[in-house]
Amino acid sequence: MLLFLQSLLNGILLGGIYASYSAGFSLIFGVMGVINIFHGEMVMLGAFLTYWVFTLFHIDPFLTIPLSIVSLFIFGYLVQRFVINRVVEAPPMISYILTFGIHLIIAYTALWVWTADFRTVTTSYSGFNANIGGIIVPYARLATFGLALFVVVGLYVLLYKSEVGRAIQATAQDKEVARLMGVNISRIYAITFGVGAAITGMAGSLISTYFIVFPQMGLPYTIIAFCVVVLGGMGYIPGALFGGLILGVVQSLTATYLNSGLSGAFTFILLFIMLIVRPAGIVGKGIVE
Amino acid sequence: MLRKLSPTIVVVTALGMLLVPFGGFSGYLIRLLAMIFFWIGKTGCWNIISGYTGYIDFGAVGYYGIGSYVTAILMSKGHVPFLFSILVSGLVSAAIALPIGLPTLRLRGAYFGIATLAFAEAMKQIFLEFDKTVGVSFFEGPHGITLPIGPKNEFFYYIGFVVMVAVIGITYWIRRAKFGYALRAIHEAEHAAELSGVDTLRVKIKAYMISAFFLGLIGGVEAYWLTYITPHMVFDVLITIQMVVMSLLGGIGTVFGPVVGASFLTIIYELLHRDFPYTYAIIVGFIVVVVVLLMPKGIVGTLQVKWAMKKTRLTPSTQ
Repeated sequence: MLLFLQSLLNGILLGGIYASYSAGFSLIFGVMGVINIFHGEMVMLGAFLTYWVFTLFHIDPFLTIPLSIVSLFIFGYLVQRFVINRVVEAPPMISYILTFGIHLIIAYTALWVWTADFRTVTTSYSGFNANIGGIIVPYARLATFGLALFVVVGLYVLLYKSEVGRAIQATAQDKEVARLMGVNISRIYAITFGVGAAITGMAGSLISTYFIVFPQMGLPYTIIAFCVVVLGGMGYIPGALFGGLILGVVQSLTATYLNSGLSGAFTFILLFIMLIVRPAGIVGKGIVE
Repeated sequence: MLRKLSPTIVVVTALGMLLVPFGGFSGYLIRLLAMIFFWIGKTGCWNIISGYTGYIDFGAVGYYGIGSYVTAILMSKGHVPFLFSILVSGLVSAAIALPIGLPTLRLRGAYFGIATLAFAEAMKQIFLEFDKTVGVSFFEGPHGITLPIGPKNEFFYYIGFVVMVAVIGITYWIRRAKFGYALRAIHEAEHAAELSGVDTLRVKIKAYMISAFFLGLIGGVEAYWLTYITPHMVFDVLITIQMVVMSLLGGIGTVFGPVVGASFLTIIYELLHRDFPYTYAIIVGFIVVVVVLLMPKGIVGTLQVKWAMKKTRLTPSTQ
């Protein structure tokens, strides 16, 4: 029983991690309809930023978060403004292949510059746990879980309570009418991508404190983000949290009772079933293409 | 003019290709040409499903890997002859494509892409972990399988040539057949195609299975050529990426696009990969970005439009 509870808790915390880096993917898809293949590379960039600042200047990983947010926002804004905006009106396949090309450029430039070494960010408090009645709760993961909640709530507030948020929503709902109402579509797209990149980079910074950091880490993150977002509903931001939790728990239980290597196979089976049975996500609020 | 000339050019080049191994060229050149043939074959397979229908298959390497393993297991554990093994490889891949394609090909574009990407990654993990999980020694997990030592490069040169011609031939036939019109109708406007009486799912499945059959077959041949395979090698996502990029560069949905794209990129790979391994992938990334932004129809597609414009002096309407 204790094993089951521990496994369940691990799954929930893992789900929080998944949600933290998937929310941006959902936002970008929801507004622009772009499936961003280099999403995982933004996690990687956030993680490397934290790694280098920590290694070179000994600054606490949690304090590097604002830096990640700002750098990734600028990165996302520029990429969308100058590259992706040029094909955003084309069929989805085009933007899909384009982001694939950007994925190659970022991942292999990183591999070239930083080599394939596995790196870790080990702080004085790494590996600290709370022990509640025999169940171990790692603090770093708990912090990410809190962050995931914060990101989802924050995005919700941004989208529903701010001027920019209303413009983003209007653009997502009807691009042409939004344009007629005086919304600068390409600027809104760039801001949306920037926000998506910023929260993804923030997640990357946190992830670096307990997962290995290396240049090729990106693609698996992209695949997981896609699964999470499909499970929760494409473009429906709170769905990232639901999707993340389901996936996290399923993977954790698989790892405990079967074999950790098979969790990827289970992820696929879950994705497969969801795409067929409930393409609009578990709560049915996602966008069905 | 070119339309009349091109069959002659193609036949003469093909006959010339058959004589190359007798020309006293270096083993290296034979090997390079054989590699190009196999890449054209793989890219052609990808082009059949993704090029014609516009459903981007990011999991094509899954069928290649399955084919590699089927041949490897048959030849190393069952001592089955090579030609029979690769045929079984193709059939097994096509058989697996049916249950995978049935649900995924109902999905629209981008969803299909990631679902297939996840499929290929899952296959890799299953081949890696199956033995450990079940407690047998069948797929040999990450240790890989060693095949019997194969014949010389010339043998694979001819096999590669035959496979390439078969794939190009089928692509050409599909383009002309009713089947091909149905596929391209799906690309243009799937809903309208359905309303016009095209059984879209059936047509897509058919194309997907043809593509998987040849990918599996090529996987089997290449496994024998490599003589040693691991899941990391034969399920490498970079293989799919190459197929996508080669098609894109040559011209998605054209018969000779894969020929141009695969030849060009394989030669660049040969020139760069040994000395600058990472630069190659970065350059491929830039090629993708530049082609998508400036030349979305690829080399062959762009030329076709130019010729069509010269001929008719009208704005291009066909592609």
